Formats: sequence, structure tokens, C-alpha cells
Amino acid sequence: MYRTEKYYIKAEMKISDLIFDNPSLLLLLENLELDFTTGERTIEQVCHEKKISTAVFISIANLFNGFYPTGEEQFSSADIPTIIKYLKNAHNYYENEKYPEIRNCIEELYKKNSSPEIQLVGKFFDEYFKEVKEHLAYEDKVAFPYFYKLYNSASTPQENEKYSSNEYHDHHSDIESKLTDLKELLLKHITVKDDRIIRRKIIISLSDLEHDLNIHSTIEETILIPIVSQLEKKIV
Amino acid sequence: MSKSLINIAILEPSQIITEGLSNILLKTGTYSKIFKIDSLNEFNTKLFGSQIDIAIINPNQIQNKLKEFSLLKKSLPNTLWTGLVYTFFDQTLLAQFDKIINITDSPESIGELIHKIKNADYHSVTGNEIEQLSEREIEVLKLLIKGLSNKEIGDKLNISIHTVISHRKNISQKTGIKSQAGLTIYAISNKIVQIEDYLT
Repeated sequence: MYRTEKYYIKAEMKISDLIFDNPSLLLLLENLELDFTTGERTIEQVCHEKKISTAVFISIANLFNGFYPTGEEQFSSADIPTIIKYLKNAHNYYENEKYPEIRNCIEELYKKNSSPEIQLVGKFFDEYFKEVKEHLAYEDKVAFPYFYKLYNSASTPQENEKYSSNEYHDHHSDIESKLTDLKELLLKHITVKDDRIIRRKIIISLSDLEHDLNIHSTIEETILIPIVSQLEKKIV
Repeated sequence: MSKSLINIAILEPSQIITEGLSNILLKTGTYSKIFKIDSLNEFNTKLFGSQIDIAIINPNQIQNKLKEFSLLKKSLPNTLWTGLVYTFFDQTLLAQFDKIINITDSPESIGELIHKIKNADYHSVTGNEIEQLSEREIEVLKLLIKGLSNKEIGDKLNISIHTVISHRKNISQKTGIKSQAGLTIYAISNKIVQIEDYLT
């Protein structure tokens, strides 16, 4: 669910108030492994209790509400575990929940509208999902361990363990542009045949996913990677 | 969708003015991202990945940095450099900007500024005509979805690679679809090719 209204989140706000205002923040709690029932407690209190970076929580929560990081936020290498926890759990959400959900919807769509185009949409989606999984696996297996190693400053990672931030960016834009392709096709080009309800569900689901992926790549590109680059400089 | 997103950077020390301006910009109903920045050199570093369409700058910020500012303008030629004026400034300083906003301007006139940019953008992209592919573009599309490379398409149609690339760009802009697989589905649903052609 999108938010277009402004509601800038601050540390002293009550978590339950935020959720009432924007329930999609539940996903943030889930990804940070926080309880949904936080009673009367504020962000600051809950983060402190669960040893989670308040600055990271606030930045991500504001992204959910439509505010991009301004660059004034102060992050440090101590924030890395919180960020990676969030990202890893988000991967799990994409792979095991969101993508399969959309895949099922496309199957339903085909039942209503058994045209060759829809069949190809299914194929398009499967190939796309495969690419996404490869990217997620790359992050899980190469990028995140590399960041952790830097964080623990055990050693400078070997040349072959390195990840490339450019590669990162290319993957992201590719993932987002294929989602747009799907929406364009379903909204503008493929004729509707008695499939309105399921098509609506798919389009909303795709938009949700798009919004969430956008948050995801913003976290990586504007929060995580700058911290990592600083660490790299320090170690060299 | 991405073609209508406008990135705006504001370099203005007063928070009240920055916030007010951001609000007015958001209310123009344009799909925009607003970045607040503190100094000229942040233009090069911070906003990676996204092109800045409009930069709104308090002229004080370039006063003793004219050289730096003109280099910056050169390095970002597609940005509209706008001065935000609320005190007296020398004309030569203001002449550095492409456009001036006055503190007394109405919100509507600021809105117009944005819409002008948007339209200029659209004209170069699609014009206001119906988004129909030209015959040549259809030829390119047909070969493209057969999996031919740019070079192969160029050879077949007797045109240069650059022309192929520019046709491809137009195809993606008109249809809103970038990937080959997506364009295949587009071509089938618009009856440009038969599904059988695609499968064989």
C-alpha cells in the first residue's frame, strides 16, 4: 500500500501510532524481527531494547512514508548489522511470499483469459523471477558476507570476494524496469477478457512490490554502500 | 512512468524557505523527488544514479564560486539551473542562471516552470501524438523480438547501428516497455506478429 501523504517519523513517536497511520510499516517490523505488539512504547525505546539502530529504523520507516534520506543522517559502521538484518529478511519476503503470490495470481489470470499473451506473461515472469533470485543470492552469498567481514574488520577481504557497487546498481535498475514492463503490458496492451478482478490484484501487487524494491535499493545504495565505502577507505 | 519523474535539488540555507518551496513543488502534482543539499559540490557526489532536472539555488551560494558553478553547469548540461531570489543581487550574478524564481512569485508560476520542463521532455520523447510506432520501427521491432543483435538488424535493414539504437529507444519510449520479452508480448497483443511466428 502506498503513502503519498507526509508524515515524517521521529524517534519519540509511538510505534503503534505509526502502524495505524501506515500499516505497510508492519513489514518493516517483520524484517527487523520486532514484535507487532509494542504497546505504548516509542521507536527509541523498542530499538534500544532490541539493540537495533534507531537511525536505521527511522530512515527506513520514512522511506515507507515517502521520504528519501536527505544525506544529513549520521550512520556508522555500527549500523551495518541492522541494515543487513532488514535486507536479508526482505529477501526472504520477496522470494517466499511476494513473488509466489504474484505467480499464483498470473495462473489465476490465465484461467480467466487463456490467451497466448497471458501465457507469455507467465513465462516472462518466471524468467524475471529467476533473475531476481540470482541477484538476491549474489547479495546473500557475496555482498553481505563481504560487508560483515569489513564490519568485523577481521581482515581485508580478498580480491575475489569483492562485490562491485556498479554491478549492484545495474541489477537494481534491471529488476525495476522489468516490473514496469509487466504493468505496462497489463494496463495498456493486453486486452481484458473477463479478468478484471484478478488483473487488478496483480497490478496492485506489482505496484506494492515495485514500491518495496525501490525502498530496498535506496537503503542499499544511499545508506549501506556509503558506510561500506568509508570502511573500505579506513582499512586501506 | 520514469519519464515523468522529476528530480529537483534545492540549495538554500533557510530551512523555512526550503520547506515552503518543497511544499509548493509537491502540490504542483508532479511526480518528483526533492533533494535538499548544502553546497555546490554535493551536486557531483550525493545524487548518484539520478539525473537532476531542476536545481534551485540561492545565488549567495555561487557568489564567490563562479568558476566552480560554470564547470558544474558544463558537467550537468541537462539540468535547468534556477536562481531563487529574495534580496538584491547583481545582474551579472543572476545571469549565470537559466531561470529565476522570485520569492514573491505565485505558487502557480512555479508550477508552470515545472510543467514547462515536463512538456519539453515529452516533446523530445513522444510529442503529443498518439504513440504509434512508425513503419520502420515496426520492422526493427520484428527483428528485435526474433533475437537479432543491433548489428544484425542494421545489416538486414541497411541502416547503421546508431540508427538501430535510436529506433529501439523510440520503441521503448512509445510503448513504455524495455525488455525484449516484454516487447514480444506487446507485438503479439498488438497483432504486429502472430504468436506462431514467435514460436517458430
